[in-house]
Amino acid sequence: MNEIILIVGGGIAGLEAAGKLLQLGYTPIIVEKGDRLGGNVARWHRLFPDMTPASEVVDPLIENAKGANIFLNTEISFINRLKDKYNVMLSSGISIICRYILLTTGFELFDARKKEEYGYGIYDQVITNSDLEAWFNTGADPRVGKVHDGGAVGFVHCVGSRDEKALNPQCSKVCCITAIKQAIEMKERYPDLQVYCFYMDLRLFGKKYEDFYAKAQKDYGIRFIRGRVSEVCENIEGKVIIKAEDTLSGKPVRVTLDLLVLMAGMKCNQDGAKIGNMIYLPIDTDGFLQSKDNISRINTSPTRGFYYAGACTGPKTVPETLAEARAAALEIHTDIINSRK
Amino acid sequence: MREITALGYSHFILPFMAGMTFVLGYCIISMVKVFIEITPADRRKFLLSLVNPRIMLKNIRDIFADCLLHVKLWKRNKLLGFMHSSIAFGWFMIILIGHIEVFIYTPDRVNRMWYPIFFRYFVAVADETMRGSLFFFLMDFFLLMILIGIILAMVKRVRSLMFGMRRTTRNTLLDTIAMLALWAIFPLRLLAEGFTADISGGSFLTKSLNSVLHNFISNAEINADPTWWAYSIALGVFMFLLPFTRYMHIPAEIMLIPMRNAGLKIRHARKGFSRLQVYSCPSCGVCIDACPMSVTKAHTKDATVYLNRQIKRRNGKRIEEISDKCLLCGKCSALCPVGVQGDKLRIAQRSVRKYGLEPHYDNIQLPSAAMSGEGEKVLYFAGCMSSVTPSIGKSLTAILEKAGVNYEQMDKDGGLCCGRPMWTAGRFNAAREMIARNKDIIEKSGADTLLVSCPICYRIFVERYRLENIRVVHHTVFIEELLRQGRISIGADKKKYVFHDPCELGRGTGIYEQPRQVLRIAGELVEARKSGQQSICCGGSLGSLSLDFNRRKPIINSSIENLTAMSPDTIVTACPLCLNTFSRYSTTPVKDIAQVVADKL
Repeated sequence: MNEIILIVGGGIAGLEAAGKLLQLGYTPIIVEKGDRLGGNVARWHRLFPDMTPASEVVDPLIENAKGANIFLNTEISFINRLKDKYNVMLSSGISIICRYILLTTGFELFDARKKEEYGYGIYDQVITNSDLEAWFNTGADPRVGKVHDGGAVGFVHCVGSRDEKALNPQCSKVCCITAIKQAIEMKERYPDLQVYCFYMDLRLFGKKYEDFYAKAQKDYGIRFIRGRVSEVCENIEGKVIIKAEDTLSGKPVRVTLDLLVLMAGMKCNQDGAKIGNMIYLPIDTDGFLQSKDNISRINTSPTRGFYYAGACTGPKTVPETLAEARAAALEIHTDIINSRK
Repeated sequence: MREITALGYSHFILPFMAGMTFVLGYCIISMVKVFIEITPADRRKFLLSLVNPRIMLKNIRDIFADCLLHVKLWKRNKLLGFMHSSIAFGWFMIILIGHIEVFIYTPDRVNRMWYPIFFRYFVAVADETMRGSLFFFLMDFFLLMILIGIILAMVKRVRSLMFGMRRTTRNTLLDTIAMLALWAIFPLRLLAEGFTADISGGSFLTKSLNSVLHNFISNAEINADPTWWAYSIALGVFMFLLPFTRYMHIPAEIMLIPMRNAGLKIRHARKGFSRLQVYSCPSCGVCIDACPMSVTKAHTKDATVYLNRQIKRRNGKRIEEISDKCLLCGKCSALCPVGVQGDKLRIAQRSVRKYGLEPHYDNIQLPSAAMSGEGEKVLYFAGCMSSVTPSIGKSLTAILEKAGVNYEQMDKDGGLCCGRPMWTAGRFNAAREMIARNKDIIEKSGADTLLVSCPICYRIFVERYRLENIRVVHHTVFIEELLRQGRISIGADKKKYVFHDPCELGRGTGIYEQPRQVLRIAGELVEARKSGQQSICCGGSLGSLSLDFNRRKPIINSSIENLTAMSPDTIVTACPLCLNTFSRYSTTPVKDIAQVVADKL
């Protein structure tokens, strides 16, 4: 069992796959460009739909992956194709020769500045979903600090998702439920806060999501307005005024808010796409890495020896990502066994 | 002078005469038709312009420069200019000298239209004519010039890139036949004159050819008649086809130039001045390369040259399709060597469409604007697009505050569209209604300056509002003035800025220099590969009624690629729509000029 397996990305997918491979008797190598493990999920506060603290999910994963060789602050400089192996050169100068590479490079958030009409980066009181999670964790964001009981907060769904103009035509899948989760978290902290969600569709497909949505309306009094925000401006007090259309009542609405949260969508991690580019892995029409087959071979790339897990092939929830990571570990394991026959 | 034939006539002139009579008749009828179709006011304006000495001089100069010398083509590409002017100017000179010869040597034949054309057939060398050997030389010289032009034209058919044209127009069948006839005319003339040069006289070209022919062909004289026939037939074919081909531009342009100089505008989709423009199109295809949509090969058929062709064919479906698709960037009009206004022609086509519902805006409540205080009173109109790009308004108001300008924002609490989008859609009545409402607010506000940060609005404010005693100014110009007057000051940095000329600001209203001046103060100004009049539309234009996002993508990318040729640190523009479009696609940061200045205050 001395086969070297390289895992690119130390997020939850990489950690879970590493844990499973360790259990199967391999010693995988994890290469992570950041200075800590856990990826995007580790930056989150609590997870839907049970309000599980993110650390409760991430910490055991890190614990289980401890036996792997982990390189932090390391990027991949280039990949050479040898006869039946790959030579991967790391930015630290280490070269790894291996037959199996698992890409778990994940997603990055859409840059909300590109939707200038929402005023992110222009008006102080406009933040993104990720800024709000950071505030839940640290409490250190003066913008969110201006929110007070009795005030009002708005969430804008689909910022850079399902938006051809923003070059992100796909649905980011988790923002609807994340917005509901964040709205509830805000209401838990400020019970007298007015919370508005501006959506074009609510896509609540997962286990218990619908209940969560019903709870948000019934128990927390969060107001859902079907209509996209058309423009945002600022008043003299520094509050944001938004204009939208309530398409259910067919009337324009104008709301003054203390804070506007933009639910920035997911796009393929550009560093991951760059690595894919080194060995000409195909990119799908949605900008994510392309699997061999989108139904039965989502873990497998068209190039021999390369495997995928998690959000590098498209927006995914945490349980989906973990399931894929386990599947990828098993896929690699069976391929190793078969090659030895 | 010694005439060979007693009557000064031979049957071979018949094809030429038939063609000539036909083409003259056709052109006169067409001219009268255009004249009848223009409005009575335009007709009076046109007739008055013909007796105005200043315009008359301009007409003569333009006809000489555009029709004969092709100055615009020379400016575009030397070889292209040489090719066209050698054929047009050379032919004109041959006809002119032919007439002079007739006047001098056979004055009693002046009324014979074919005499100057076939002079060498009818008139033989005599002592007198030999003294005119200068004419022999000039005739050969200009014939040689035309022949070189025709060789270049043939080369252009296969190697258009040598002439600075990536794409050229696809000829129709008639165009090809007429073109071949045109190409045949001059070699045949050379051959015909070559056979008869020993009798009629000639110079370096025809005389030499004559001796070659006589040395190599026995009984060379018997070939003379057939070649003169062939020459005449080639002329006849060309003239018969002329009204139905691209070569109609030759007579049409002569009428287009005085009408344009008289200040006539397109007022009808197909008639009058539009008809004249359509027939003035030489199908050269300069507009195909100019069109920003041509980056996608499928769109090359939507260039102005094909619109003109479809209008001639009255193909309603294609006319509508081409007109609706256009981004109205106006680049084809700016580069067109004869001055066909592709953008205005398309707006005119759009205007004939019938809509079931005519919008009206009476029910929209608009806040009024009132300016107080002494001295300058600036009313700022941000426009709809600026609401979607809040950075512009925020930056501009910061600049105004800093400079201590007495200003008020007109559409802060909601406003009505400037009317330009409706105007470009060809819905003039709806646009006029909006113009009237806005004009009322502006005039009642007491402001002396209307400041606009959107070139789309700016253009219609300048062109259609006719505001009394109110200066309309675009923010690029206003900021440049504030800097020049020292009311604001900014420091230079080491960054490289490239300016993207928005279509409506540059080609639309001719503002190119002021924004560049501001950027020279802000840092280092670099130019895009194509800029100024040749700048490429950002691709986000609201001029197009039917182009979807997937088909705009290649345009946007090519425009960004053009801007980043000198690897600038920042792309600067002065239009909210360009800003909005670029910032989503560009990896280089994109800013409005107001942002660049406001960041440095």
